[in-house]
Amino acid sequence: MNNILFGLADKQWIWVATVVFASTFVLGSYSALKLRRKTGRPYILGLVTFGWILQTIGLYARGLQYGGCPLSNQFELVQFMVWSAIAIYIFVGPAFRVSLLGVFTSGFACVFSILSLVFSHWDNPSREPIFGDSPWIETHAALALFSYGVFGVLTLTSAMYLLQSRSLKTKKVVGGLFPFLPSIVELVHINRRLLIMGFAILTVSLAIGYKYFIEDLDSVLAVKLAATIAVWIAYAVTLTLRQKFALSSKKFAWACIGIFLAALLSLAAVNRSTKTTSPQADLAPAPPAEVS
Amino acid sequence: MSRQHDSFTVISINHEIAPLEVRERYSLDDAKVEALYAQLHANPQISESLILNTCNRFELYTECASEASERFVLQELAKSYGVEIAELEQHLHLRSGREAVQHLIEVSAGLRSQITGEAEIFGQVKAAYAVSQDNGYAGKTINRVFQKGFQAAKLIRNSTSVGEGQINIANVAVDLAGKIFGELNSAAALSLGTGEIGEKTVKALRSRGAKTFGIASRSQARAEAVAQEWGGTPRLLQDLETYLPEYDIVIASVGAEEAVITRKIVKNCFARRKGRPLFLIDLGLPRNIEQCCEDFDNIFLYNLDDLATIADENLAQRKQAVVDATAIAAQKSEFIWNAILKRREYEQKQA
Repeated sequence: MNNILFGLADKQWIWVATVVFASTFVLGSYSALKLRRKTGRPYILGLVTFGWILQTIGLYARGLQYGGCPLSNQFELVQFMVWSAIAIYIFVGPAFRVSLLGVFTSGFACVFSILSLVFSHWDNPSREPIFGDSPWIETHAALALFSYGVFGVLTLTSAMYLLQSRSLKTKKVVGGLFPFLPSIVELVHINRRLLIMGFAILTVSLAIGYKYFIEDLDSVLAVKLAATIAVWIAYAVTLTLRQKFALSSKKFAWACIGIFLAALLSLAAVNRSTKTTSPQADLAPAPPAEVS
Repeated sequence: MSRQHDSFTVISINHEIAPLEVRERYSLDDAKVEALYAQLHANPQISESLILNTCNRFELYTECASEASERFVLQELAKSYGVEIAELEQHLHLRSGREAVQHLIEVSAGLRSQITGEAEIFGQVKAAYAVSQDNGYAGKTINRVFQKGFQAAKLIRNSTSVGEGQINIANVAVDLAGKIFGELNSAAALSLGTGEIGEKTVKALRSRGAKTFGIASRSQARAEAVAQEWGGTPRLLQDLETYLPEYDIVIASVGAEEAVITRKIVKNCFARRKGRPLFLIDLGLPRNIEQCCEDFDNIFLYNLDDLATIADENLAQRKQAVVDATAIAAQKSEFIWNAILKRREYEQKQA
């Protein structure tokens, strides 16, 4: 399944993007930990945006064969989630003015992108077309994955909170990442806003999916339904407890990290249990398509 | 050519070579600085001069005419102090040419300050340069050396950790408050006790944007008097439990045998704070805050020893950075001095 665009196959674009994310992560970490100075936000933002554009080209080339978002297998699900997380960092991140968020996000993107590229069976087999003729199901899937991207960034800011809080508690406040991380009050506010944003997007996505589920109860397997509802409930409970101040910031951060990891595992369930909506879906993958 | 290498000179009497009583002897007031400038410029052999006079150092930068030597400047300085050259020589550093430029960069960047990396010296050097320039004592060489030297000093401060981290206890506490609350203008601070260290911490917090203060004392009259002086709301120490939840930062420096803030008080306060962090700074001896108070999430407790350790670590980190900073100063001084020499060569050829 090689879709060529501007002379490179979709996966090659994604490899190049991954190298850019990895370089950004290494540069930012080296600068903070070794040189003891922060790499300017414009440089990190510029590099991450460059990687994101490369990844977008790769995903676009992949999507051309479906005529929609490339969300047909685990590789594509992970790539789309990474793409969403980076998009959140690029378009919403600057408003947070959080030091090192770019470095953390590029590290996150690099790790998940490498995993999805290394495990070649994640990219096989591919079903196409995956959404039949319904743009709403595609919207449901894309929004759900986008919310996972938001939760991915939330996981990073939660990890930053835990790092900062631990440094302050243990009084190890000289050296390391401490001088470059934002204040814990800022991180608490950012975490809350990200959770509200991600939860709202996931809710809209599930509302759209529910409409089609009601029309055809057999279209979704129980495992997928249970995993999806469990993730939604977990985030709903966390948000409610936080709003009522019944959950300390530390427990909240741990909860956000834990739920995201569980949600990632549920992606496998979602992928395995997705039923196809087209009779053509069970056909063998199409031959390589030249789309440029 | 070598003559020109030495035409720019610095004579420095500083804490590295002269003990306090010697520095006191050679320290000048404004009137004496003016008189020294006048004396130097009455002499045609000294074409440019700049005097830097701070509590820890006296420095005289001069550019001499071609026939004068640094010995001549030393003689003029000894004359102004009314001492023999031999006596003066025991307590000074004398550097010329590139080394003088490097010295200036190192001084401006705080590398040669008694508290390594302190930033105040940069302002003092700039002020001294402004005086020299305004009065027409600075010429081509001093202008170029100082302007380029300031750029190099800024580069050192920005690219090394020589000025990073606070090294006095009040500022360390304020830095930590910033790491917990971010902008301090929305954080309310409470001083338990009205002693000097509490006052310093309140002032440091105010300078970083904190606006709301409470001043607690055992006596209402004392609390009111100090609150008026420092700026804040007077509080009675005995009523601590009732108003503690209103504050984010607590500076405790009360002379008391028993802890003023106990685990029980913090637990009661915690429930009313809706998850907002509480920063407890214990500056009392014996300690004013029970150590177990830090067991709660979102409560950060630092005592005198903790703050002193951080200050020491910051200072050690600054000293480590001096090696890198000195290398930059050496490189930049080489560049600046070579540029000056080339320019002189060009001017000589033109003449």
